[in-house]
Amino acid sequence: MIKRTSLVAMLMMVVASGAVAQELSKEEWQKQVTEQTAKRNDLRNKLTAVQTEVDNLKKQDADKAAVLKNCQDELMAMVGGTEEQRKAYSDKMARVENWINELSRLSNQDLWARKGEIDEIQKLIDELKKDKLSAVPDNYNRVQNAQNRLDALKRTIAQLTESGQMGMTYTVGTWARDRDCLWNIAKKPRIYDNAFLWPKIWQGNRDQIKNPDIIHPGQKLKIPPKAPLTNEEKAAVRSYWQKKNAP
Amino acid sequence: MKKTSSLLLVAGLIAGSTLIGCSSKPSDDELKQLEDLKAEVASLEREISAKESEKASLAKAIADKDAQIKKCQDDKRAAQSRLQGM
Repeated sequence: MIKRTSLVAMLMMVVASGAVAQELSKEEWQKQVTEQTAKRNDLRNKLTAVQTEVDNLKKQDADKAAVLKNCQDELMAMVGGTEEQRKAYSDKMARVENWINELSRLSNQDLWARKGEIDEIQKLIDELKKDKLSAVPDNYNRVQNAQNRLDALKRTIAQLTESGQMGMTYTVGTWARDRDCLWNIAKKPRIYDNAFLWPKIWQGNRDQIKNPDIIHPGQKLKIPPKAPLTNEEKAAVRSYWQKKNAP
Repeated sequence: MKKTSSLLLVAGLIAGSTLIGCSSKPSDDELKQLEDLKAEVASLEREISAKESEKASLAKAIADKDAQIKKCQDDKRAAQSRLQGM
């Protein structure tokens, strides 16, 4: 009986001691209050110091913004021009850049077809260069970049002209002397260097060649750019052979 | 005899726990004071952290403006020189 009672008593003591451990003693409370108060005071001081630094930085930022604006105003005063003129300049510059981008994406053949636009763009660039606003380095760099890209397009066109790939013409010679027929003309190295491309010359000159077997000395033929035969050209060849082989 | 012993034990336990319960303990107000202190500390820590972030952003903004000011001054010199050549 005593043993059982003792066990119950011990169990109660353990439970009671656990409950006591969860509660804060006055001394522990006091210790924590002291610690937290010190920490709070430190943090308050630190916050005041950081706030002062932030205020100083805000002032510095505002001062720098004013210096920057002043500098930009001086720069604009130097080159003159109203806000509207500056916007017009920027719009014109963007138009030139977009135009050059458009031409740069074209195939050689399409570029050749639109080569007249190069002069119009050059005219716009020249106008931009003459404007005092082009003295501003950002504008100056954009104009220079546009000029460089336009020069590259000009070089491409010059190369196409020199290589005879675009806008070339051929004056038909005599059969006796030159053995000129569409097949032989296409075979010439400076034309296509490929006799099988003769339908290109035929289709490119439908206005003056009705029958590809008949061309005349002195005829000035346009030579389309060298490229594989198109479906239309192939169809024209099929039709030609069908007629030729018809009984 | 056994019964007496048991009673004594129980009495002792009750007395002991009463004594422990009566030992010095913070009041509810004092406990609330401690909780408030802890909450204030946590709030201050958050506030300082936010201010440190703001400080870093401002320092970056100032550095950016320094670079822009330098560029503007260079631009002014270049523009001056180009205008003389126009």
